Amino acid sequence: MKNLLLATALVPIASLANAACAPDYSGVTLTVSTQNGPFIASALKTAADSWEQKTCGTVEIVEFPFSELYPKFLTAMSQQTGDFDVIGFIPAWVPDFAPFLSVMPEEMQQGEDWQDIHPVYRERLMSWGGEIKSATMDGDMHMLNYRADLFEDEANKAAFKEQYGYELAAPVTWDQYYDIAEFFTGSDAVDYGTAEAYRRGGQQFWYFFSHAASYTNNPNTPGAMFFDPETMDAQINNPGWLRALEDYKRGLEFNPPGALNNGSGDVRPLYAGGTVAMNIDWADSGVLGATEGAIAGNVRTAVLPGSTEIWNSETESWDTFDTPVASPFLAFGGWQLAVPGDSENQEAAWSFVAEVTSPEVSGQAIVTANTGVNPYRLSHYENLDNWSAIFTPEEAKSYLGAQRGSLDAENVALDLRLPGFFSYTEVLEIELSKAIAGQVEPQEALDAIAAEWDKLTDEFGRDNQLAAYRAAMGLE
Amino acid sequence: MSHSPQPDRVKYAFILPAFLLVLTITLFPLIYALVVSFQTIRIVPPIPPRFVGFDNYTEILGSARFWGSIQVTAVIVFISVALQYVLGFALALTLHHNVPGASLYRVSFLLPMFLAPVSVALIARMLFHPVLGPVNEFFTLFGLENLPFLTSPSFAIATLITVEVWQWTPFVVLLMLAGLQGLPSEVFEAARVDNISTWRRFRDLTFPMLLPLSVAVVFIRLIEGFKIIDTVFVLTGGGPGTSTETLTLFAYNEGFKKFNIGMTSALSFLFLIVVILFGTLYLAAAQRMIRRYQ
Repeated sequence: MKNLLLATALVPIASLANAACAPDYSGVTLTVSTQNGPFIASALKTAADSWEQKTCGTVEIVEFPFSELYPKFLTAMSQQTGDFDVIGFIPAWVPDFAPFLSVMPEEMQQGEDWQDIHPVYRERLMSWGGEIKSATMDGDMHMLNYRADLFEDEANKAAFKEQYGYELAAPVTWDQYYDIAEFFTGSDAVDYGTAEAYRRGGQQFWYFFSHAASYTNNPNTPGAMFFDPETMDAQINNPGWLRALEDYKRGLEFNPPGALNNGSGDVRPLYAGGTVAMNIDWADSGVLGATEGAIAGNVRTAVLPGSTEIWNSETESWDTFDTPVASPFLAFGGWQLAVPGDSENQEAAWSFVAEVTSPEVSGQAIVTANTGVNPYRLSHYENLDNWSAIFTPEEAKSYLGAQRGSLDAENVALDLRLPGFFSYTEVLEIELSKAIAGQVEPQEALDAIAAEWDKLTDEFGRDNQLAAYRAAMGLE
Repeated sequence: MSHSPQPDRVKYAFILPAFLLVLTITLFPLIYALVVSFQTIRIVPPIPPRFVGFDNYTEILGSARFWGSIQVTAVIVFISVALQYVLGFALALTLHHNVPGASLYRVSFLLPMFLAPVSVALIARMLFHPVLGPVNEFFTLFGLENLPFLTSPSFAIATLITVEVWQWTPFVVLLMLAGLQGLPSEVFEAARVDNISTWRRFRDLTFPMLLPLSVAVVFIRLIEGFKIIDTVFVLTGGGPGTSTETLTLFAYNEGFKKFNIGMTSALSFLFLIVVILFGTLYLAAAQRMIRRYQ
């Protein structure tokens, strides 16, 4: 009788203990892998702490250099080693990884938290072959950064208007962008007009894509920016791409000397340190400028410039638009998390992914230094108060407004996602580098890239590549 | 008549397992790589292995990028090793003659060699920055502002050679100094008694006596020089275009960017052939030179 009473008394205590672990993953150890920290890895560590407290599970973060992630993940998943429960990777690898990834649980694909993810990420970048196999944990796109102290200066405004005949403001076309860059390069207000990355291996091709999107991402021919979505013939040597390359090369005149050797890592301090009036970059330049730069309080961000003319690859002519069409380019597309199909802890792993990407945890990550996490939820863009530790209200409004505006743009351009991504971009980098260094003519370089892209497509299997490309462009 | 056991055969029996083990460990990767070089194997996107005979070799030999990378590598290696040898030998001679502060120089001259090539390249990237670097400041004094040290093909090659010379001359100094200290002093004393000039002592005694060592030092530097990758990767990334892409960087890009394993294996063997070819030519020339001095 005494034992029975004791047992009865212990039941509610045991229930309380279980309630502390909800859901209860006691004894479960998740192996979560991504690139070397602090970027991304530190955000995962913070989320791991809160997940462990909630679930009583354990998370082990395994970091590798970025260059080793792809082969390690692919080898482990294709050989069914079960080494990783959660992997952090980039959207360009989804085509190669998709066959080995588990599908996100149905319950995660509904409710307020799900709807809070911006539709471009939720419906396009997280989706592959009609299934959700990854979760965005970081939003990424190229934007234009400029300095308020220069753009709002009355003397600069008057001088600019006199010289170019229109008001000095954030450029909405690439022609305006070069006018402004030229104006500031020749002025005493700042040393140089703009900064972009041109270095081979310095993420240069994403900068080129950002120019090209404005001339090739035609709303009348969806998905025809990189390849013909019917034949998979490379489009990179068409007149739209040629104009983009000539533009991109022209920018060298307004960059600091030695820009050919500048990667994205060099472009940021040039803007934050006050050497240039503008730059093109991911969201990092804005944060650096506001927190550690010489231009704090003057950081302003805008959607990338657009164009009134876009090449139509079907009619092989330029389509003209009454107003500039913004084609903001989702360069890189941000980091994603996924659960490999060979993980033995899939349920717990998806629970961890839900924790990392929850509005609360991700809302803190986006305003914490060195997490590398940028906004991707609607709530991230709306909660301006959250950003007061980094930005002034004007800066925050402009920074978040540009990101939201880019994602909301009707003609937003998605990054290339294709099996063998690095094979395609390697030849692109080489020929691009030759063209901007003046070693070959732009058309010659683009023709060489197109020929090599077509060869790679044939080598990898044209039908497979076509199917993957159409899926990436949302043309299923 | 009884035969005594043959100790030689027993000796071989004991050595055999270790010999086979070493042979397996040494040769297996090479044989495996050789087999792979006759196949198309791509990890990304995954393509099943297929035997293609000499196709990989033919494709590489027909590629302008391959020949360009050989040319770039050869230019960097031959010029930098020549400079390293001349400077290194000169510095070793100076240190050998106990100039004031020799021990301090000895340590400071050797420091660059102990640095990781990646660190050296990062330092060089700052030094040769076309706007902020001290080298630019120096040239600006002569009216040569913002020289494209890393972005013009010829300047970039010259910068890479400079960095190589800076880092690896100490290696030559170290070995040549050891060689100088090992030379018999009697010969030099006799030469001094006979009033033979410093230049003749160097030409007729020091240089010939150190020639075998010089040949070895230059050979080691040539072989090591052909493997150059870190400095190029950090300083120029092989650009602009492929104008500073060395053989190893080319192989790295094929293997670790494109995951074209078959092609990379073939490239590795061609790299081996190139090194053996240059090495053999060098040793043949060096032997003739040694014979002449003997």
